Amino acid sequence: MAAVDMPVAGGHAEDSHGDPHAPYLKAKSGIGSWLFTLDHKRIGLMYLAFVALAFLVGGVFALLVRLELFTRGRTIMDGETYNRFFTLHGAAMVFLFIIPSVPASLGNFFLPIMIGAKDVAFPRLNLLSFYVYLLGVAVLLFAIVSGAVDTGWTFYTPYSMQTGASVIAMTMGVFILGFSSILTGLNFLVTVHTMRAPGVTWTRLPLFVWGMYATALMQILATPVLAITLLLLSAERFFGVGIFDPKLGGDPVLFQHFFWFYSHPAVYIMIVPGMAVNSELIATFTRRSIFGYFAVAMSSLGLALLGFLVWGHHLFVAGMSEFATMMFSALTFLVAIPSGVKIFNWTATIYKGSVVLASPMLYAMAFIFLFTIGGLTGLFLGTLSTDVHLTDTYFVVAHFHYVMMGGTVIAFLGGLLYWWPKMTGKMHDEKKAKVGFWFTFIGFNVVFMPQFIMGSRGMPRRYYDYLPQFEIFHKVSTVGTWILAIGLFTTAYTLLEALFRGQTAPRNPWGSAGFEWMTDTPPCLANFHETPVITRGPYDYHLATPEELDTGWDKVKAQAQAKKD
Amino acid sequence: MNENAPATFQLPEQMSTLAPQVDWIYYFIFWLSVVMFVGIVSAMVFFAWKYRERPGHKAEPTGHNMTLEIGWTIAPVFVLVFMFHKGFEGYLNLSVAPANSMIVKVNAKQWAWEFVYPNGGSSDELHVPVHQPIKLVMDSADVIHSFYVPALRVKRDVVPGMFSMVWFEATHVGHDDIFCAEYCGGRSTGPGGTELPYAPSDDPLHPYIAGQATGHWSMHSMLYVESKEDFDKFLKSIGDPCDAYVNAGKDCPLKVAADQGAKLAQSKGCVACHTTTGARLVGPSWKGIFGKQESTDKGGVSVDEAYIKESILDPNAKIVTGYQGVMPTFRGQISDAELDEITAYIKSLKD
Repeated sequence: MAAVDMPVAGGHAEDSHGDPHAPYLKAKSGIGSWLFTLDHKRIGLMYLAFVALAFLVGGVFALLVRLELFTRGRTIMDGETYNRFFTLHGAAMVFLFIIPSVPASLGNFFLPIMIGAKDVAFPRLNLLSFYVYLLGVAVLLFAIVSGAVDTGWTFYTPYSMQTGASVIAMTMGVFILGFSSILTGLNFLVTVHTMRAPGVTWTRLPLFVWGMYATALMQILATPVLAITLLLLSAERFFGVGIFDPKLGGDPVLFQHFFWFYSHPAVYIMIVPGMAVNSELIATFTRRSIFGYFAVAMSSLGLALLGFLVWGHHLFVAGMSEFATMMFSALTFLVAIPSGVKIFNWTATIYKGSVVLASPMLYAMAFIFLFTIGGLTGLFLGTLSTDVHLTDTYFVVAHFHYVMMGGTVIAFLGGLLYWWPKMTGKMHDEKKAKVGFWFTFIGFNVVFMPQFIMGSRGMPRRYYDYLPQFEIFHKVSTVGTWILAIGLFTTAYTLLEALFRGQTAPRNPWGSAGFEWMTDTPPCLANFHETPVITRGPYDYHLATPEELDTGWDKVKAQAQAKKD
Repeated sequence: MNENAPATFQLPEQMSTLAPQVDWIYYFIFWLSVVMFVGIVSAMVFFAWKYRERPGHKAEPTGHNMTLEIGWTIAPVFVLVFMFHKGFEGYLNLSVAPANSMIVKVNAKQWAWEFVYPNGGSSDELHVPVHQPIKLVMDSADVIHSFYVPALRVKRDVVPGMFSMVWFEATHVGHDDIFCAEYCGGRSTGPGGTELPYAPSDDPLHPYIAGQATGHWSMHSMLYVESKEDFDKFLKSIGDPCDAYVNAGKDCPLKVAADQGAKLAQSKGCVACHTTTGARLVGPSWKGIFGKQESTDKGGVSVDEAYIKESILDPNAKIVTGYQGVMPTFRGQISDAELDEITAYIKSLKD
């Protein structure tokens, strides 16, 4: 690898932030080194800490909501509290956790490394986006404390006009979080366009980066619409301008159009990063290039584009014209094509690979399993006459959890286990990771499979209580949440144990050909000691040198032996 | 199409003429999904086992197979087009009510349903005669609700400020639950912030008890499909709602509304163009027009609450054949209550 002059990332002087060749965690110390850091890796870690916390909070609400549904009648809370809790579960999971989850944490950490850059294009904007996120979290917390919101995460009018005033604080929090999302997206786009190391051509771009790129496009284009919608909602509430309120001549269905014009692309902002992680996992653990690399990369962009054209499929029974309904149904079916392309290509990659069933690969295979169910059940909802029966029932709840949790969250967990050694320099215990995986995978299916059946049998969603014929499904589903919780806590324990007591990880513990594994573990502050020159694709195992693919485990074992002697 | 099936593991009993068509496409997608899912997952697991990492085994560098890639991009399109077509067909059947439908007005509010029958009587449970198309004209007094009967396979949002429509024809005598499917809040405290009691009942026909905590989940009612004779008996039992008022020596609210509407028709100038005698002026006469089928420049409409409201607020939307679109809009000059009163007046002008 030859050294090449490269513009200093974002123009900030590296020296004031520590030795560029020291491991990034040790380059500088003290609380200020975190609070004012411009290092994309530290910002990624700080994001990770907060999205993990948001996932915990959202998860606790989910456990409480499911516990309430364990028996008919009152189990642990009254109806109003239940309405607040499912709202908080949805809002925390969507806005605080899943939208920033992969891009802001893993994306921030690995996107620059994967293209051989020193940092993102605008490190200060990157730090700003983190603080804007924190501000959004603070405003949301204020909304919760000042009299929780009970509108559901969708804030549908006119109910959101009628209920407690903290709905405005809540939407303001979401409004602020949107800016954080836009800043991250902007940063990624510019970084990918301008900061690729020599030899990182568009056709050698790791699929993770392609996915982040598609996500960033959506974040920039869709999020402003949410901001406008929420501002209109506030204007309506305070000044009674009559946009959404039928009493003032407004149209409540208009709000749904505005809301889903953002929130449908947001669904792809959530799932495309999960797919991006999954492509990396599959390539590494089959030791071969993703089959149909170009098609997989373009399908991310295809999803990003289609994401903007299908919002109306949330409104099939809401009061749209038959013509609009027909168009949205037809466009919705198109989504199946890029999604199918990804699934088929991943499966074809496993064919004739050399498959290592390490814990991240288990998650990657679980992703294919669960996302296939999530995608196929989407066909029932895109088809108009079946959607009329199934929409607003538990069938929809199960469907989007199979996509969002079975897809994105599973990929996120797989990605965390996969990149944990690179991020922390510590190796986790594979046995515990696999135990955590199986509890998560089985628990997840026990929670959501019964929800499909009770949904198709007619159980509406967002119900505090239910009729006797649905009781058995609710019971099984609730028991599933306990299995799932055991799995998630085991995984969290595995990662934290590695962080504090883990074995030191070698440079490339999984034996990957990916660019991020070419640098130190953990990476030095400048990511690479000299700008790398790339001469092959990130998945070209047949072109990678034995040194590049060397896991380094022999050396670790030899050192451990030497210590003993 | 009337060979209706009982409940299966996945789907509830079929009680409407639409249900068999919906279920056919449901099971088509279900079995297609099963085949796809089993195919993908077993291929994945089999490959992962067959090509597992072991000494002497190396991954083969990935090649290209354009035919395969184009194949699995294009092939699904045919199945998707078929599914779209079937679903749209079913949706259109749901959207167009037969001309001989009996109209029942549905009023939704937090958290109860009210059904008003052609004779003016009302009930909080929906009674309909078997083998008779029923058209529900629905309106909400507060927030968005959604009318859902699983056995009919119909669902439609009930949006304040607009009339939405759903129709069905029940195929056999029986009953099913009516749910609200759009989240609409809830209340667990009574006046003064005291917590309301809450315990659901085991009676399947009345699972929620009045006076207790209530909300979206308890906005439940029943659909009773009855024989023609039973339905007529039911109609008689709720009677003409004006009778009760007249017997008690009070004014009937329906009549009061219609009278008010008659005054409005004068003061707003409606009568300058619309007679109440059947004679033709600039616009169609109101006499006997309610419930009639009219042909317009946008196709046939049945003159119901929604059409009257539209014709007042947006007169040129659908112009009755033979007339000119010369009426000005009354949007912003007429309140919701006044619209209801004029509608009540037009309804009262029977042949």
